[in-house]
Amino acid sequence: MKALIFGLTAISLVALAPGLSYSADCTTKVGAVLPTSVDWGRPIAATARMAVDLYNKAGGVKGCKVELILRDTQVDPKVGVDAAKALVDLDKVPVLIGAVSSGVSMPILTSVSVPSNVMQISCCSSSTVFTGLAKDGKTKGLWFRTFTTSRNHAAVAAKIIKAKGYNNLVIFYKNDDWGQDIGKLVKADLEALGVTVKASIAINDGQPSYRAEVVEALKSNPEAAYVALYPKEGIATMREWISLGGTQNLVVANSLRSEEFRDSVGIKYLGKMVGHDSAAPRTAAAASFTALYKEAFKKEPSGPGLPNIFDAVMIALLAMEASPTLSGDVIARSVSKVTDPNGTPIFPDEAGIKQASALLSQGKTIRYQGGTGAVTFDQYGDVSAPGLSWNFSEKGIVELDYITSEDINEFINSLKK
Amino acid sequence: MIGIVSYLVFFLTMGFVLSIAVLGLNLQWGYTGLFNGGVAAFFGAGAYGVILFGGSNKAGQLIGFGLPYPFAVAGAVLLAGLLAWIVGLITTHLRHDYLAIATFGVAIAVENFARNAEPITGGAKGLRGFERPFETVINDPFWFNLAYLIFVFVVLIIVYNILENIGQSPFGRLLRAIREDEVAAQSLGKSPARVRLQAFIFGSMIMGLSGALYATFYAFISPQDIVPILTFQIWSMLIVGGSGNNKGAVFGTLIVWAGWVGSGWVLTQFAPVEMQLYIGTIQFIMIGLIIVLTLLIRPKGLLPEKLIISRSVARVKPE
Repeated sequence: MKALIFGLTAISLVALAPGLSYSADCTTKVGAVLPTSVDWGRPIAATARMAVDLYNKAGGVKGCKVELILRDTQVDPKVGVDAAKALVDLDKVPVLIGAVSSGVSMPILTSVSVPSNVMQISCCSSSTVFTGLAKDGKTKGLWFRTFTTSRNHAAVAAKIIKAKGYNNLVIFYKNDDWGQDIGKLVKADLEALGVTVKASIAINDGQPSYRAEVVEALKSNPEAAYVALYPKEGIATMREWISLGGTQNLVVANSLRSEEFRDSVGIKYLGKMVGHDSAAPRTAAAASFTALYKEAFKKEPSGPGLPNIFDAVMIALLAMEASPTLSGDVIARSVSKVTDPNGTPIFPDEAGIKQASALLSQGKTIRYQGGTGAVTFDQYGDVSAPGLSWNFSEKGIVELDYITSEDINEFINSLKK
Repeated sequence: MIGIVSYLVFFLTMGFVLSIAVLGLNLQWGYTGLFNGGVAAFFGAGAYGVILFGGSNKAGQLIGFGLPYPFAVAGAVLLAGLLAWIVGLITTHLRHDYLAIATFGVAIAVENFARNAEPITGGAKGLRGFERPFETVINDPFWFNLAYLIFVFVVLIIVYNILENIGQSPFGRLLRAIREDEVAAQSLGKSPARVRLQAFIFGSMIMGLSGALYATFYAFISPQDIVPILTFQIWSMLIVGGSGNNKGAVFGTLIVWAGWVGSGWVLTQFAPVEMQLYIGTIQFIMIGLIIVLTLLIRPKGLLPEKLIISRSVARVKPE
């Protein structure tokens, strides 16, 4: 009996082997340092894994299966740096995906990635310090992020607010690097447009109540409010805001594009709300990131950073495919082959990845079009993308207006004058 | 092989940097019985201090003195000491839990100051450090890390020896006397308030030194580095190692730090792929288990305090 089972197993293995698109003993390791133990971090990590699975289904990198080694950062810089160092030294990964917070990504970049010549790509680190570091040549071109710069987002927000015709408003911003940045940028843009910002209110994490902040904002009796918060604080703040009679003329950042926010605040209060985000390109053939996500998780992608991490992982894997050798600096230099504006447009579903691999192996370039749009990096690893406005419906999220990259850049340039 | 060595060098560097902060806490809690719940504040003062004193004046930044490295470190330590002096004047007459709550509040205040005082601290986006000393001279990441490890180790040895000497000196006996029975110490003509303040300031300066070495190594500091979990980490290292024992403090740091980050590595090596998303959470459970089990098995820490009356008198066995 044992022999029979053994025999059958052996036969079936042999029979199945040609069906596998990669040989089983060949794996390529990629490291990820993400806050998997944090509520908003786990979906980001799950999406990273989904991207790798999809890539493996399409044949893997250079015919080798990709193994994603996932480490938790605990949002603690020294824990994240240690995890990154272990991935680079012990697992020998040439590419690091992560981290989420700038305060974790930065020490990883300065003390692990750059010294060890490893490419690092983050989904969500938004601090302007990275751009400064890159300008000084300290990132050696190893750093990328798929998080559209706050400059870009702020311009879209200001454009939407102006189009709504609000004359004055208050700003609620999350008191972290991202929130401070976008709050300040939106304020400057609005003032350049002649919209009065009556107050800018910082919202700290994890407070039991935001009544004091909300009352402060209400004092100025604003016509509208701009909200750049994460769902948890966003829900708490907006509940108090609306219950105390604050205006329902809300403009919110992409971080609140979450059904949790809609359900917890209540859709009947969010009828006049409009959000901004970066947009996927309007190409008819491309299956959207949303469709891929729904297929994998059977629910809507809601929560910050999900399309961004998908793109980060995909760009890293495609760059590995395009790279002649698997060392960090060569892979980093190959990113431009993946995001070439003159390349063949590719959406990374299974067929798209296969097509991309074929094109890249012929030495051709592609134009990656993923979850956050047609991503293009500047020489500092920063990305700009088209924008859109959206709001909630009973069923999900409805995209309203599409704003092209050209429009955004023109708008930013017009503000400088 | 070189990978393992390179990782170990990195691991030990952070372990020794944290050990220095734990030694500082040992002076306050282990020797003097001061419950400092705001370790992160003094660590942070040192970390921000070294970058503010040693870094150059960047755009949009008010402060940045560009001092040579030794002066930057000295400035950082003094800044931590100054903070401790101000905090100490207000709080060292508080005992135990009251002091803990007050200092915890100070740590939150310092973190929020760092997060909001953008012209000085760079705000939430953090503050970039300066070129790490000798990095361009050595010009090889591995050898630089090794050199930095040796530097940190030498600093650790110096701090350790100073504290050992204090522990065995008349001043050390005075600290323990105040810890055990303040009224008795007072009746012998000692001033507990002054001595407690001295121990508080000196311990905090050592934490500041640790912070300075930390920020130098990462060449970056942000409010994320000085959140309350840091205080908890330093405390658990001291309690697991054995408060009142400097060797225990260093040993406990390495054990807890190894457990803290090692648990993550072990789990990724052996957990099945579908479990990987939950590894971070399991890691937290393991960290808690390590701490709780050590305390259950060795309530006084891995290396308990040795009671020494004086260098010239034989050691007393703890009861």
